[in-house]
Amino acid sequence: MDQFVRVRLIQCNSLDLDLFQFDYDLTFAAFFLNADRTIYGRFGTRSSDTDASKDISITGFKKAMEGALELHKHFPTHRDVLQAKTGAPAKFKIAQDFPSLTGKYSPFLDYKGQVSRSCIHCHMLGEAARKDARGTGSMTDKTIYPWPMPNIVGLTFDPQERATIKAVAPGSPAAAGGFRSGDELIRFEKQPMLSIADVQWVLHQSNPPQTLRATVLRNQEEHSVSLQLSKGWRHPSDLSWRTTSWDLRRVATGGLLLKSLTEPQRSAAGIQQEQLGLRVEHVGQYGAHAVAKKAGFRKNDIIISFDGIKSNVRETELFAHVLRNRPSGSNVPVTVLRGGERKHFRLKIQ
Amino acid sequence: MTALSSRSFRSRCVALSAIVGLAFSLSIQAAEDRDTKVRNDKSKVEAGGNWIYNDFQKALDQGRREGKPILVTLRCIP
Repeated sequence: MDQFVRVRLIQCNSLDLDLFQFDYDLTFAAFFLNADRTIYGRFGTRSSDTDASKDISITGFKKAMEGALELHKHFPTHRDVLQAKTGAPAKFKIAQDFPSLTGKYSPFLDYKGQVSRSCIHCHMLGEAARKDARGTGSMTDKTIYPWPMPNIVGLTFDPQERATIKAVAPGSPAAAGGFRSGDELIRFEKQPMLSIADVQWVLHQSNPPQTLRATVLRNQEEHSVSLQLSKGWRHPSDLSWRTTSWDLRRVATGGLLLKSLTEPQRSAAGIQQEQLGLRVEHVGQYGAHAVAKKAGFRKNDIIISFDGIKSNVRETELFAHVLRNRPSGSNVPVTVLRGGERKHFRLKIQ
Repeated sequence: MTALSSRSFRSRCVALSAIVGLAFSLSIQAAEDRDTKVRNDKSKVEAGGNWIYNDFQKALDQGRREGKPILVTLRCIP
């Protein structure tokens, strides 16, 4: 640790968004940098709102730090390939430039007043980016499904290592591209990999259809493998754990938190496997999150039709459907099962 | 509106005001607690001397001076 200059940033007010591009839904993220602002790597991954240990570990963090020290030792040898770890110039240079945030926050926290309220939290950047995309009609898969987890292409990484593959899903793009369990992913699109977050960075930056090239270490030998990404490859992502899903629920479901039915729940309700079945786990109670409540929805209602969608999809697919197809102010028809009876509602999209 | 229903309406309003007032007061209290945590966290980190607190430029300058890489953590305020 002493080999680094250590700085803790606690606010996104005035954060340089050209440099600090990361998964804004994280509650902990790290960057390893040269003082000339070259990024050696990132750390911080999350795929659940409950169990962090499946994505990150202190051991993995330590190994990422060791990797960064190694890159620093040889710097500027890898400077050219490291340039790709910095993203394209951000549309908005600092958080306060986002239209939905501008004029509301100062560059510094108000330590003498309501300091927590003066903070632009990381997740607010994701929300602001989505609002901007929605307002300008520029919504893309990259905005809807940011920072994809590698498991959606068939790769499960070991959180105790930098980027070592724990499992490859049979029939997945990763399996087709030659990845194997136990491989250490050392370069991805030529970039050195220090962590799972570095893997996510390459995935996040991709523009399908695209073939990503990788080098893995297998039995102490380097092997070339590839990853074919087709259109729509991000769609299996799960958005429900994300902090920003709170705001997505305001937009798309009027404040309803929806859970996919379990098999016993499906049987009990008489809903077939291929049919939509999302149970209302929570009904928002206040302000813009109470739109569904005011429309008449109740906890434990089972949504069986949402704006014409009747197939078995997750809450995430409803979010994506609304973001892509339904502008703010539109009304969508929703049918629920309540006590075995069908009830029909109109839900206002925000 | 009858006298009885008017009284009932007034008492409901009083009750509602009390609830809203209590909720507001609790909300302020919760925010104050969080604000206190943030201030305490700042004092603690700065007193510890192991981390630069919330000053990226200072970290860049020090990194340049000492030839060290920089570790930046982005951690939500408490």
